[in-house]
Amino acid sequence: MMNDDLERVAIVASAQTQLRSAWGSMQHVDLIGATVNDLLNGSGFRIQDIDVIIDCGSDVLDGRSISNCGFLGAMGAHHKEESRVEEDGIFGAIYGANKVSGGSADVALVIAYSKPSESSVAGYYSTLSEPFYQRPLGLDHISAAGLLANQYLTYSGASEEDLITIAFESWRKASHNKDVEMLGAPSRDDIARAVRIADPLTAPQISRNVDGAVAILIAKESVARKLSDKPVWITGIGSAIDSHYLTERVPGKMKAAETATKFALKSAGISDIKQFKLAEVSATSSANEAMVVEAMGFADFGKAINCYSENSAVSINPSGGAIPADPIMATGLVRLHEAYKQLSGGYGEVKFDKAIAHGAGGLGMQNHCVITLEA
Amino acid sequence: MRNVAILGVGQTNHARRRTDVSTIGLSREAVLRALEDADLTMDDIDSVVVCSGPVLFAAVNQPEKWLADAIGARNKPVVRVTSGGGTGLAGALAAVNQVRAGHANRVLVIAYDKLSEGALQYSISTLYDPFWGREFAVGIMGFSAAYWKSRMDLLGHSEEAAAMVSVKNHKNALLNPYAHVKKEITVEDVLNSKPLCWPIKLLDVPPISDGACAVILGSEDAAKKSENPAWIRGMAYYCEAENAAYRSMIQSEPLTIAAAKVYRQAGITNPRRQVDVVEVQEPYTCFELSYYEGLGLCPSGGAAELMASGATQIDGDIPVNPSGGCMGANPIGATALIRLAEVAQQVRGKAGAYQIEGAKVGLAQAGGGWANLRGVAVVSSEKG
Repeated sequence: MMNDDLERVAIVASAQTQLRSAWGSMQHVDLIGATVNDLLNGSGFRIQDIDVIIDCGSDVLDGRSISNCGFLGAMGAHHKEESRVEEDGIFGAIYGANKVSGGSADVALVIAYSKPSESSVAGYYSTLSEPFYQRPLGLDHISAAGLLANQYLTYSGASEEDLITIAFESWRKASHNKDVEMLGAPSRDDIARAVRIADPLTAPQISRNVDGAVAILIAKESVARKLSDKPVWITGIGSAIDSHYLTERVPGKMKAAETATKFALKSAGISDIKQFKLAEVSATSSANEAMVVEAMGFADFGKAINCYSENSAVSINPSGGAIPADPIMATGLVRLHEAYKQLSGGYGEVKFDKAIAHGAGGLGMQNHCVITLEA
Repeated sequence: MRNVAILGVGQTNHARRRTDVSTIGLSREAVLRALEDADLTMDDIDSVVVCSGPVLFAAVNQPEKWLADAIGARNKPVVRVTSGGGTGLAGALAAVNQVRAGHANRVLVIAYDKLSEGALQYSISTLYDPFWGREFAVGIMGFSAAYWKSRMDLLGHSEEAAAMVSVKNHKNALLNPYAHVKKEITVEDVLNSKPLCWPIKLLDVPPISDGACAVILGSEDAAKKSENPAWIRGMAYYCEAENAAYRSMIQSEPLTIAAAKVYRQAGITNPRRQVDVVEVQEPYTCFELSYYEGLGLCPSGGAAELMASGATQIDGDIPVNPSGGCMGANPIGATALIRLAEVAQQVRGKAGAYQIEGAKVGLAQAGGGWANLRGVAVVSSEKG
């Protein structure tokens, strides 16, 4: 996105609901409407300033065909351009950024939401598997996470202890995040002794599905500079899909996350991932998070654990990441929102000048998306 | 803004039920034909956009994940865009924006539906709000019939005029090698056909089909290697909130908004004179009449007269659906992209037996949801 005829693109506002195990009192439209209102309040932008709305939700999780049709009013989309990217919201952010940088829109709103508390999450994931070879095996996100974790331990030399540490750190950090509903973080022992639901993974190592909505506002440079105190620039974007079949993937690795990161760094003109001291990444299990961190280039194969030590150069998921709070279609966009908040002063003192955010979709994290930001 | 061109298109042989291929085999057939038409391979493709109707139609969640291997898209960006029945055009718009943003040089858009796999009207009924709409939902037909009746009373969209649409599109489909409904019918046949939800009768309704369409879009640079690209001169996809109290369905507001925007982009001030060929996505015949007015081919209330004048016939001055439209084949998630592909082939001079001689400017229309999602595109043999 370095070419002269393209618009520079910034994130200028963001908002999210709390991520809760169940938002019993709020319908989808309530969660979406609250998030959009919260985003606009005090942002300097009005709903009429928005040219295009990209929404990311799932018909299957929502129990409703073309469910975005029912939510258009809550999004503020009436008489606007709107499209759904039926994938994690961070892929919707790519669409929004493209739309603005290509000159087709000045301001784009990207919204992602899920209420898995009202759905069968296992059903969502097992129907995601093709019907002939994988689906009859009964694969879902939990069994897929177990299979991938076993491969990771076998091929990388990492230990079960490493995976427990990654999960422990995630829950510990999330307990300081007011946007994640928590009833106290599990101890290392709690994690180690919890029920092994997908060998070698215990329950707290599998991401907890939560209800919630998140939104970000993207604007072109001239608009961003005029209306925002602290625009955060989108400098690079990349995405890539892996094979659908778990047996066809490289054991212990997330090749598509590696490719997506390379695309993003190339478009940002950055050659060394180590320039990033802040990374917000998605994962459906502790082992998957380790694989993503390694695929992005923050650690060598089997050494992701080093990124969770006190003297790590990069801070992975200060928000707690996706293991304690995984709103499925919104998880990656929450990562982008967290990274934006860090760079725009949403947490007070700004400690980072750059950040990289990652999201994924599919069974066993088949599809990956990476966005780089700069304050 | 950067120019974007269509470099190649491909369609499957549509059928009521394609038993010889699975969903991914069906999609692959269209992709291979589009690659052949563009003289490219998957190595030349930077990014893929997949479009299909609601996933309940074929009972595979996020089917693009399954499709990735079958079309050789592994390690490439793949994303699925869904926007009801008009999703194919919404996906093409996503691809246009990828190219304009320099995110990709060539993008493959693949749209399909395999409607033989699921219960269509049941799936459509799940569109309705679970609290206040689903208990009386009966697919999309009752809703459409009610609005047709209003337009009949207010705009004169008579049963006879709609029957002429059916006769025209059925007749045109006889020329289309990809269509699977090949039947010559008369106005009397339509008027006497079985009422399904009056005024909608059996022959006002398109078939239910299995089918796919693929379109390859590229940058100006990519188009240099193409013999006869079709240039995208304008494209937009607008919506209205279904619960907006002031929503008027007499004229489709998102359609008029989208058309105005696209005409401005394409420099069109008089579509009737400046456009050579039109393809519209008509889920029922009554919608084609409504689109004539929404697209500005005639004034409000002039659709029946326009139809009766013969102007929209294949040999008229503003031919609409020379391919036969949805009456020849209706794989819902693919139909909007088929409309775009058909006008592209027309301006590229590759429309075969239903080629409109000298066609330079083509207009495509798409729609979905509760008739609340509307897309419009203009393509031309000239870059502009």
